[in-house]
Order: sequence, then structure tokens, then C-alpha cells
Amino acid sequence: MNDTLVLLPILIPLTGAPIALLLARRPRVQSGWALGVLLTALASSALLLAQVWRSGQPGGYEMGGWQAPFGIAFVGDLLSATLAVMAQVVLLMGVVYALGSKDKVIGYPAFYVLFLTLTTGLTGAFLTGDLFNLFVFAELLVFSGAILTAISDDPYGTEAALKYFYMSLLASAALLLANGVLYVSYGTLNMADLAARVAADPTQPLLAAGIAFLLVTFMIKSAVFPFHFWQPDFHAAATTPVSAMLSSVVVKLGVYGFLRMTTLLFVEQAPAIGALLVGLGIAGVVYGGLGAIGTHNAKRMLAYSTLAQVGFILVAIGWGTPLALTAAVIFTVNHSLIKSAMLMLAGVVASRAPVKTASFQVVQGLGKYMPGAGALFLAGGLALAGIPPTNGFISKLTLFQSGIQAGQWWSLLVLGFASIFTLIYVVRSFMRIWWQPVVGFSYGSTTYDAAEIKAKPGGDRLLAPALLIGGALLLGLWAEPLVSLATAVSQWLGDPAAYITAVLGG
Amino acid sequence: MELLTALAVGALFGIAIFQMLRRNVIRSAIGIILLGNAINLFLLSTGAYNGLAAAYTDLAGQRSDALPQALVLTAIVISMGGLAFILAMLYIVSARYKTTDLDEVTGLKN
Repeated sequence: MNDTLVLLPILIPLTGAPIALLLARRPRVQSGWALGVLLTALASSALLLAQVWRSGQPGGYEMGGWQAPFGIAFVGDLLSATLAVMAQVVLLMGVVYALGSKDKVIGYPAFYVLFLTLTTGLTGAFLTGDLFNLFVFAELLVFSGAILTAISDDPYGTEAALKYFYMSLLASAALLLANGVLYVSYGTLNMADLAARVAADPTQPLLAAGIAFLLVTFMIKSAVFPFHFWQPDFHAAATTPVSAMLSSVVVKLGVYGFLRMTTLLFVEQAPAIGALLVGLGIAGVVYGGLGAIGTHNAKRMLAYSTLAQVGFILVAIGWGTPLALTAAVIFTVNHSLIKSAMLMLAGVVASRAPVKTASFQVVQGLGKYMPGAGALFLAGGLALAGIPPTNGFISKLTLFQSGIQAGQWWSLLVLGFASIFTLIYVVRSFMRIWWQPVVGFSYGSTTYDAAEIKAKPGGDRLLAPALLIGGALLLGLWAEPLVSLATAVSQWLGDPAAYITAVLGG
Repeated sequence: MELLTALAVGALFGIAIFQMLRRNVIRSAIGIILLGNAINLFLLSTGAYNGLAAAYTDLAGQRSDALPQALVLTAIVISMGGLAFILAMLYIVSARYKTTDLDEVTGLKN
């Protein structure tokens, strides 16, 4: 089981990053290089997905030829491959957006390099089969994300990055502690081997501590309800192409971790973990929805909305039935597409405002200068709220179907009410930006009069959000491929023994 | 020796978390260094007392486990990078707000 295809989606951006650094003196070549690298990486991960799906066998690679429980293994099963493709599609769109953006930070020599290391960290975290390696890739992800935010054009970028970095240092500390605790209890860090040993001997005294540390790690990574407070600041302060990545695909690392925990590592303890996830998910859905309604900035609103949408996914993981896991995967993929597109559209609007901010007060009424962005924003907003014919409808439909099947009436009731919050805040933000008249405002020491406010010419290009929204509509009208893929993923997740045998070689 | 290590790890964790919760930027950075060291010592102790002979030697006796040492080495390198980055950010933030008190860094609240 040495399948180089598993390594390629990680290796290509990893080798591409230092070469991009060498090209720092030629910005145009560098941005083209980053685009090419991401395209190649996406091609390789799509190939991996096709191969894994067709053969029905997870691909694996053992570094240096050391057999699986001893060496470092990379495992591409259907869940990992699906998430890797999803992440790289969205990251590719991020580079496309950055190419058409006029932010100063895009011109920094390190920008595309950090974008590629961000890709490496995220893809690697999805594809690794080793708990310690997960820590290394998660650190790479955190460092790249924090630096990209710290150099943002927004003057508060450094402060937000500092806040986030403290939090994720704590998350990494928890992950390292979980590594140590599980290693001392079971003598292995390979996820398949660990799963087999935990199932064989669930009475180790430190097991509960290991589970708790892992839960804390992934909760901070995904900004789940009690650990969410850094997230709106951080996602709103980052520059647009970066915040679109952070709020859509990077938070999915925690979702992936929860899926692995409940379906592979701790299957026996899954009902308890699931109950916790349902509770926190519902809290996040309600809190995130209310928070999004209460904000005065489009980007912050979308960051709060991520809190709510991740809550929906957590509830689905918590229910844990095959249909609920299908819904979780569909929701994860669809939310990544919609949320990145919405944040890019908020960024497009902000880039044409007289002051570069997405605050509703500033951008109110500016929509009449950009009808195209308005149409896309409305389509994306309806997708976020789950209105047909968008892909958001498909995710909500499968989620509620799985809830009905599982008989979770109380949670369904709350989720149904909280879905209305989504509709309220997307429609409200759309109306404020596109339908209401321009108002005067004062920003810092300058006062802007309503009569002289006009959208600045130029601004960021609409290509990337248009492609993403197009994908969202396509997946809504022709949902069959994604649904059957997600069904296959949930079948794989329901059979951890097959994963373990495939990795450990029977 | 096990008891001593356990006490040292516990004391380091206590001091580290206390320092991290202080408002002064330098003290919180010191807390982060100590937290990293506490975790590294804990990781080392997961494999330190399992064997008597060093790994990859011809000495008689049970081999000790080399994996925790590899983990600690990696974790040290990563935490060093993180520390350098966080010190740089603390410098920028404290220079911008002309304070070393993190409670006065409130730009994002508005």
C-alpha cells in the first residue's frame, strides 16, 4: 500500500511554496506560479478522489517504507479525499480572487507563499493518518493563517491575529497533551492502530482525558460555541481572500476531527461525544444566528453565520446515524462554497466603498453601482438560508430528513427556528446594501456627506465569487453526484474496521 | 524520579497558566514559553522510564522508547517559531497602543 497519489496533494503546494518565495522579485510570475501550483494540486486530489471512490479502497503511503503503526502513514479514505478536493477548490478560488484584488497585502512577497503553506497544512491535516502529524500540519495551518491576518490592510489585523494565535497555541497545547496521554495509554499514535487498541481496551484511566483534550482542540479549531469569541474578530480583520478561506474551509478542520473521533477513534464513546456535540451545536446555531443579526458589519455578520452553520454540522455529527453523517458531509462541502463566495462578495462591496470597510453604515446603498454583485449576493444568501434551488436547500433537506428519521424532535424544532435567523440576516444585509438609499457617515475624523458618496471605480473582480455561486447553484440543481458521494462517505465511516485493516495491512 | 518529574510538570503547568492569564504582554509570553516546556517535559516522561538502555545501541537491557524524544524535538522547534512570531506581534501591538497592558488593547471592541 504505497500509493504516491496520496502524497501529491500535500507535496505539490509544499514544494511550490519555497519556489514561490524565490520568485518574490517578480510578483506577476509569482502569482501565476501560485495559481498553477494550486491547479496541479487540485488535479492530483481530484484524481485521488476518483481513484478512491472507484476502487473502494483507501489509498495509503508509508513514509520511508516504515510499516504503518511504526512509521508515519498518510491515508486517503473517501472522507479525507472529499475534504481535500473541497478545500483545494475553495483555496484555488481564493487565489483567483487575490489575482483580481487591489489590497496592498496581496503585493507582499510572502502572500502567495503563505497561501501555499496554508494549503499544505489544511490538505495534510485531512490526509494524514497519524495523530502527531495532524498536530504538525495544524500548526502549519495556524501559523500561515495568523501571519496572513497579521499583515492585513485592516489596522486591527495584528490585534486579531494575536488573539487568534493565543487561542490556537492553547489548542495546539491541548492536541500535544492528547498525543502524550493517548501514547502513554496505548503506545501508538497511528489513528487506525489507536482505534483498534482503544476498542480492545476502553478501560484505560487516561482515555477520558485524551478524548477531552482532543475535543477542546477541535472545538477551538472550528470555533464551536464556548470557544468562538476570537472568531468574528479574526475572520473580519483578515484581508478578503484570506478571510474567505478561514471562514469556509479552515474551520472544517475541526469538523473533520469530530467526524474522525466519533466514527473511527472512539466509536464506543461516540454517543456521549455526540450528545455534547448536539448541545454545543444547537447553542452555536442560536448564538451565531442572533450574533449575526446584531452586527453592523457584513464581514462580521458572515463570520457569526459560520458559527451557526458549523453548529448545524455538529448537530448532524452528534446524531451520528448514517443519514445524519451524509447530511454532515453535504453540509460541510456546500457551506464551504457558499461562505467563501459570500465573504468575497462582501469584500468586493468593501473594496468599492469610500472607506475600505464592510460596515453596513459605510456600504449602505452602494449596491446600486454593482448590480452583478447584488444578484450573486442574493443567490448566495438564499443558499446560506437553504432556499431552493440552491445547494443550501439540499444540505438542510438531508439534515432535517435525518433528524426526522432519528426522531430528534426538540432539536429539530430549535434548528427550524434558528434557520429563520439565517433568512433574516442575509435578507437584511442585502436590503441595506442594495435597496436602501445612501446615508452620510463619519469615519475617524472625516465626515462623508450622503450626496458625494459614490462607489469607487475598479475594485475587486467578481470572477471567483461568480464561479463559486455558479457551483452552488449547480450543486443545487444537479445534486445527485454530491449526494451519492456523501452517502458513500457515510458508508465508509460506518465501517471503521475496513479502514483499520486497510491501513494496518490486515 | 517519577514523582519528581510529575511534580515538576505540575508546577510548570501551574506557573505557566498563571502567567498566561496576567495582563502584561511580557508575562503572558513567558507563560507561553513555560507552557511549551511543561508539555515537552510531559511528553518526555511518557517514554522516559520504560527502558534502561538507550535506543540503537548494543547495551544489554530493555531498550528505552525513542519516539517521545522525537516528538519533543519537533514540538520544541514548532513552539520556538510560535514564540518568535508572538513576540513580534506583541511588540507591534504594544508599540501601537503605547502600553504593555493587554486590557488596554481594545481596538477591536469598537
